[in-house]
Amino acid sequence: MNQNHVYDMIIVGGGPGGYTAALYAARAGLDTVILEKLSAGGQMALTNKIDNYPGFEDGIDGFTLAENMQKQAERFGAKTEYAEVTRMDLNASPKVVETSEGQFLGRTLVLATGANPRELGVAKEAELVGRGVAYCAACDGMFYRGKTVVVVGGGNSAAADALLLSRIAKKVIMVHRRDTLRATKIYHEPLMKAENVELRWNSTVEELIHGERLTGVRLRNSVTGEESVVECDGVFVSVGRKPATELVQGQLELDRSGYVIAGESTATNIGGVYAVGDVRTKVLRQVVTAVADGAMAVHAAEEYLAESGQ
Amino acid sequence: MAAIHINQEQFHQLVNENKPLLVDYWAPWCGYCRRIGPAYEKIAEEYGESLVVAKVNIDEEPQLAEEEKIEVIPALVLYRNGQAVDSVVAPESKAMIDRFIQSALEK
Repeated sequence: MNQNHVYDMIIVGGGPGGYTAALYAARAGLDTVILEKLSAGGQMALTNKIDNYPGFEDGIDGFTLAENMQKQAERFGAKTEYAEVTRMDLNASPKVVETSEGQFLGRTLVLATGANPRELGVAKEAELVGRGVAYCAACDGMFYRGKTVVVVGGGNSAAADALLLSRIAKKVIMVHRRDTLRATKIYHEPLMKAENVELRWNSTVEELIHGERLTGVRLRNSVTGEESVVECDGVFVSVGRKPATELVQGQLELDRSGYVIAGESTATNIGGVYAVGDVRTKVLRQVVTAVADGAMAVHAAEEYLAESGQ
Repeated sequence: MAAIHINQEQFHQLVNENKPLLVDYWAPWCGYCRRIGPAYEKIAEEYGESLVVAKVNIDEEPQLAEEEKIEVIPALVLYRNGQAVDSVVAPESKAMIDRFIQSALEK
């Protein structure tokens, strides 16, 4: 590979936002490369069925949707490199991205690195994903029809997950480390009313009990120190998300939670650098909002390239 | 060269040959296995000279998976001279698979 080649656009991250940017950029005639560390799709690649992305009346699995987005962008000439980014210099001209596959230079850069669910940090958690440990009630809840599940967390998304699961599962046990929910009031009443939802306050998950699959959790009450075992078929971890912005800290302006500050235009504080999808400050993080960002970023980048005469 | 799909019999033959053998143990129902797929094909292209790059579907080869004590997938195992040298479970990136192969080959 020619390490001095300057792309019109480097896209970091191959999720729906990244590949939509790639599609629009390639169709606009921009010389475009996507740097993806593993395979297309990001978080949605692990979603068994996406029913809220329009155009697929029977739903579509996230991995296939991602592959389709990749192929569509590549049909117009976008290029994918399976590269892990190790360092970025966004203020340089051209912008510099160092990766496991060498250095890439770009006139513009789209940051589409997404976000990841925060983990519980309990032993065996990663190994039990898909075998009782889940991070998305809307994605995987249907597998727990008539079963007993634990929801860990006390924020809005945990409360929403618990409510959603209460309509599917036989029993929902919500485990929260404090003695009150952080969730907004609209969730309180329905949660308290739901007959199959039980709340365990001041409690943390100490251990995931499992054979082939998860069979239960061991909880610890932080006030009394008492431990108890709860038998369950699934644990939904809803303790927040963390944006993948470690590599741009100190360069891009981030909000308190680490998301890149950018409005609907996706423009960041650095000229020619755009943030799309879950990594950007926004109200609703969905596939449809990520793809919208991808299109916006290319529109903004074209203006930037024209204005800066590049 | 694309990664080759092998069965138990082929495994026992390949594992004793001179060229080290890399096996990706996977199953069709495993979402993360699919995610590794494209990067693994790239690995097969890049390491084709120095390694036999293979895949074993553990649903079709349960006996082999049991013999090799595969309890979690996706699992990549590197074999040399009939012995498992090292393994990695659910690698996060192609770069991580590269590092795994390089360090396993040095062992």
